[in-house]
Amino acid sequence: MKKQIPYWLVSPYLLYFAVFVAFPVAFSVVLTFHSWNIISPMTFVGLDNYRRLFSDRLFWQAIYNTLRFLLVHIPLQIVVALALAEFLNQKIRGQAFFRGAFFLPVIVSGVVVTILWQQLLGFNAGILNRGLTALSLPRVAWLEEPGIAMYAIALMATWKNVGLYVILFLVGLQTVPVQYYEAADMEGATAWQKFRYITLPMINPTIFMVVVLSTIGGFSLFIEPYIMTEGGPLNSTLSAVMYIYKQAFQYYHMGYSATLGFFFALLILGVVAIQKRYVEQEN
Amino acid sequence: MAEVKLVHVAKAYENGPRVIRDATITVQDREFLVLVGPSGCGKSTLLRMIAGLEDITDGDLLIDGKRMNDVPPKDRDIAMVFQNYALYPHMTVYENMAFGLKLAGLPKDDIRQRVSRAAHLLEIDALLNRKPKDMSGGQRQRVAIGRAIVRNPKVFLFDEPLSNLDAKLRVQTRIELQKLHRELNATIIYVTHDQVEAMTLGDRIVVLRDGDVVQQDTPINLYNQPATQFVAGFIGTPPMNFVPGRLSETGPLHFTSKGGQVQIDLSNSQPEARLQAHRGKPITFGIRAEHLSEQPPAARSVHEQALAVEAVENMGNETLVYCPIDTGQLIARLPAGYATTFGQPIRLFWNLDKAHFFDAQTGQAI
Repeated sequence: MKKQIPYWLVSPYLLYFAVFVAFPVAFSVVLTFHSWNIISPMTFVGLDNYRRLFSDRLFWQAIYNTLRFLLVHIPLQIVVALALAEFLNQKIRGQAFFRGAFFLPVIVSGVVVTILWQQLLGFNAGILNRGLTALSLPRVAWLEEPGIAMYAIALMATWKNVGLYVILFLVGLQTVPVQYYEAADMEGATAWQKFRYITLPMINPTIFMVVVLSTIGGFSLFIEPYIMTEGGPLNSTLSAVMYIYKQAFQYYHMGYSATLGFFFALLILGVVAIQKRYVEQEN
Repeated sequence: MAEVKLVHVAKAYENGPRVIRDATITVQDREFLVLVGPSGCGKSTLLRMIAGLEDITDGDLLIDGKRMNDVPPKDRDIAMVFQNYALYPHMTVYENMAFGLKLAGLPKDDIRQRVSRAAHLLEIDALLNRKPKDMSGGQRQRVAIGRAIVRNPKVFLFDEPLSNLDAKLRVQTRIELQKLHRELNATIIYVTHDQVEAMTLGDRIVVLRDGDVVQQDTPINLYNQPATQFVAGFIGTPPMNFVPGRLSETGPLHFTSKGGQVQIDLSNSQPEARLQAHRGKPITFGIRAEHLSEQPPAARSVHEQALAVEAVENMGNETLVYCPIDTGQLIARLPAGYATTFGQPIRLFWNLDKAHFFDAQTGQAI
């Protein structure tokens, strides 16, 4: 009996894991070899879904769009979060207020933030364009121009999530012992040299965590383009997750959608593995 | 090398009391000066003010006659060894030592030469490619010193550099620091709370207490002529024995302890003349453990008294005997191998020529 107690104690989580993680993953893998529209019975199609995936131009465009988003979103997120964290790490008045203010968008619903930004980025009445007009600059079609829309979304997503990474960086910065900076002061280091040679290497683990989290978060880009642009214009903001969602719940291609999802998960895993390797080499 | 002068230096934090009240200290060129005192006495603050890591609230800091109060740390030509070494964990020993030189824009060959010379001096040549985490405390300490040496500064500051080492390594490093001081021929200001370190390392010692400089002198003078009861109790192991009591008001001069157990005849003694002004006043009598002996010493005046024995510590080279008295405890340092039977009193001879007297109110030596 005594030997069974640990198993009983972990059983609630195991049950949760089985129902909500293990079964869906296993079922998805099974689905990838089937065609299924929820209503009719599943039919086995072998590797057809995989073959289709490799020739599906729209899927690859969605992947390309997502990478384009990440290319702007991740560096911007890191630079802005680190700059704000450095700012908040100084002895400034209203420190608690700024910490709260920067974190606020993180806890506000994604839908609300997206609608808010839709207003800000509006072509005619948007506040950004009004500002540009006031400065006698031409208006920008933030969400209507295929070459710009994804970057506008990246800007918005950064604004929404940066607060979380500010907190992570702040924790990282505060773990750097002050003696290192004092030693560097004695040796004549400038503020930039202290940042470059002490802060950055010392918070490397935090940077890696932020890169991984924002990569995973960025890959799952969905709400923002779904509400703001519905993937348009000309599919330029169609993200991978949005395409997977459309395949499943608009076209009811459950088998194919599962295949896309499975492939996409492997892609994320691969990217994170490369990132990890790079950071380990740096260390 | 350089002379460092603190002139009426004070330090107060915002809305706080003064942690350094009024310090005037001159560190001679090539002198090894030790700042010593209990925790919170302000010794590290004083060192950090010299380094430029803390602002000076009042007074002047002069290095070679030049006022340095507003000069940034890097331009003071000072190197500091921190208590926890502050070696950059992501850099190798070589990179740690070369960091300051690299920032100063020195040519690579010059840097390599300086680092290898310092590494050779400190016998850490073999460690140059290691990272701090792969080294022992003693090795890290050497690297921290090496990092200071390569810059060839005018003044070295050491902030309790031995406090993280074990007892054996501390003794060994103390000797090496003495050697290093001779070899570098540098001005060194060294902070410690350990009076043994202060006594063994310093050409001169500054004793601090609650932000005040209590006394500054050579180690031997501090030991033999402490200016206050605090210094007398702080310097020396075991600490000086203190017996609070009072001097007789009239008649032959004698001292009586508070409970009356200790009665010392001071008439015709060496200190009699200077004690006359304190007749009838409360004073504290002080005597070091080695001036209590079993055999009568060759001294002008000696007090003799039988005391019970509470505890005996055989140290190998000497024996410390603890005797309770009405105002506390006396420790006598007796020759090695002394044996006692508990309950049997011991007859101790007090060498009054070596006795100290302190004003009970001010703590100042009389």
